[in-house]
Amino acid sequence: MKNATLAPILGLAALLLAGTSAAQDVPSLLKTADQFRSGGANSAEKLQVETLVTQHAADGSVEKERRYTVFVQSKRQSLVLMQSPAEKGQKVLMLGDDFWLLMPGSQRPMRITPMQKLLGDASTGDIATLSWAEDYSGQLIGEARCGERPCLHLSLQALRSSVSYQRIELWLDKARHEPIKADLYVQSDKLAKQARFLMDAGHKQVNEMVLQDQLSHKKETRIRYLSRTPRTVPETWLNPMFLARNPSLE
Amino acid sequence: MAAASLAAPTQALAQDWSAQLRARSEHRSANPQGPLAGPQGSTQGLDAELRGQWRGLNAALALRQERGGEADEKRSSSSSATVNELYANADLGAWQLSAGRKLLSWDVGYAFRPNDMVAQEERRTLLSSQVRGRPLLAAEHFDADTAWSLVWVNPLKQEGRRGDEQALAGRVYQRQGSLDLHGFARWGQHSGPSLGAALAWVATDSLELHASLHLARRDHALLLNQLDASSLLQRQSPWREGLRGSHAQALLGLSWTGENRLSLLAEAWWDGNALSPQDWRDWQRRTQQLRALPPGAAVPPQALAANLAWQAQAFGSGSSLQRSNAFLRLSWSEGGWSPALDCLYHPADGGRIWTASLTWQGDRLRVDAGLRHYGGPAGAVLTQLPQRRQGYAALSWAF
Repeated sequence: MKNATLAPILGLAALLLAGTSAAQDVPSLLKTADQFRSGGANSAEKLQVETLVTQHAADGSVEKERRYTVFVQSKRQSLVLMQSPAEKGQKVLMLGDDFWLLMPGSQRPMRITPMQKLLGDASTGDIATLSWAEDYSGQLIGEARCGERPCLHLSLQALRSSVSYQRIELWLDKARHEPIKADLYVQSDKLAKQARFLMDAGHKQVNEMVLQDQLSHKKETRIRYLSRTPRTVPETWLNPMFLARNPSLE
Repeated sequence: MAAASLAAPTQALAQDWSAQLRARSEHRSANPQGPLAGPQGSTQGLDAELRGQWRGLNAALALRQERGGEADEKRSSSSSATVNELYANADLGAWQLSAGRKLLSWDVGYAFRPNDMVAQEERRTLLSSQVRGRPLLAAEHFDADTAWSLVWVNPLKQEGRRGDEQALAGRVYQRQGSLDLHGFARWGQHSGPSLGAALAWVATDSLELHASLHLARRDHALLLNQLDASSLLQRQSPWREGLRGSHAQALLGLSWTGENRLSLLAEAWWDGNALSPQDWRDWQRRTQQLRALPPGAAVPPQALAANLAWQAQAFGSGSSLQRSNAFLRLSWSEGGWSPALDCLYHPADGGRIWTASLTWQGDRLRVDAGLRHYGGPAGAVLTQLPQRRQGYAALSWAF
């Protein structure tokens, strides 16, 4: 009788302990996943990232191709330079929760809302945000199968409203914790995009992110990381009025 | 073909060069109700803009060829080349110095910018225009959250009016989280001192609010002379360029963007430098009296035509036709397509301008098309404008 009473209590305690341990693991899981996305850099490292974004129509044909240079700095500060002919000279500055858009002809920065930042097929958030660990809290839902691979299913909730996606369902490789796929939800909890992460040949870093748009026309956007190099930019580059001067930022 | 031939050398020069070639067609329909019916006809044009940056030198060159004219008349053509910007920058870290012809755009509004103290761009144009900078010397200081600018505009100009007068202008910018604060000051050679302030605040994830205030001791404006009371017909234009006394300009606006990619821009502004509703009522009465005159021996047709043409000069009186204005723009963005509908409304007389536009942006190609209609009650200023409708279409190629 005594054993019968203790068994469920011990089971519950074990479950609680396991839950606590998993919750504690989530930040380190996210940090590891972030490092695969940032090419091995830790969250304090400042980077210059070159990306190529290709948008495909439902039939697979290439609709658009865009090149971006992204300066990822500390304190969630990023500067995105549009490099393709159609957008040459456009810049998006992201300082924490504050955003500005600079158009080449207007010579003045326009203050934009987090929602305006989301406009476009590959939002600047998709390109510039390399840190889940800083922007999300989460819990480990459990183990799952991702094709043939065992993986961990995490559910992430945004710590602030200005991030591109308020909820992310994320699947990481069980052994190495590299990101495999994610469901990205916007503020209204609509599924906006489904992401797949493709690793390089040596499985050292994420080489490509494939985004399947779920809100409109099932378009596919492929974000390819061409290079990631350490780079600290001058403080003035992160002042929107300085950027309006159209300086050469190379 | 022309675009392809220009693309190769541009790419070979440097990464900091860009160019755009645009072919456009515009059509205007005349307004028979106004004092002076505008030309009815169409214009076709080819615009090229080349931008380049090499070390501390910056240049923007515009080339334009236009062919067009009034219906039933011989078509004319013209071409021009303009240096919109040509300036040198000295990068001294936090300090930045500039000298030359440069475009500086200030203030936070979209449809109206009372504190655009250097550039004074034309707003609400049908197609994006290539704005010409002003000769200036500028010293600016930047740190993480603050920017100071001191600009000597038109330093070599002895005489000039409005934006072309010699002036000292300054701006201070301060970022405070979700709030951008701006302070402005200007001292014009003839217009004297003026002060301004503006803010832009991101209130929620979807909503941005902005406001602007400008106080001027005096400013250049088109003023009405005392009319000769002995005759309705005047011997010379009753309008003259002069300085309007102290006045204020103020703007309140918001922009909202939803998850469904729908955006709304709403702005209301007061332009104390525009003609007053009473000025326009007097103008309307005089226009009606002139139009009622029977051309003949007693009223020489040339004199009547000249007086009606002078009435139309009032349309160029300033940045706004009426002192109180409201502007609403609804737009949507999806897969490269951006349809938009906007309306400028004059509460004083019910006049309104409707503009519907559609843009498609591809990799290099951009397509713009739209229609603008001037309407309102018969007595509204906007229904007296020389044109009733304007339509346009343009193809732009970026490389």
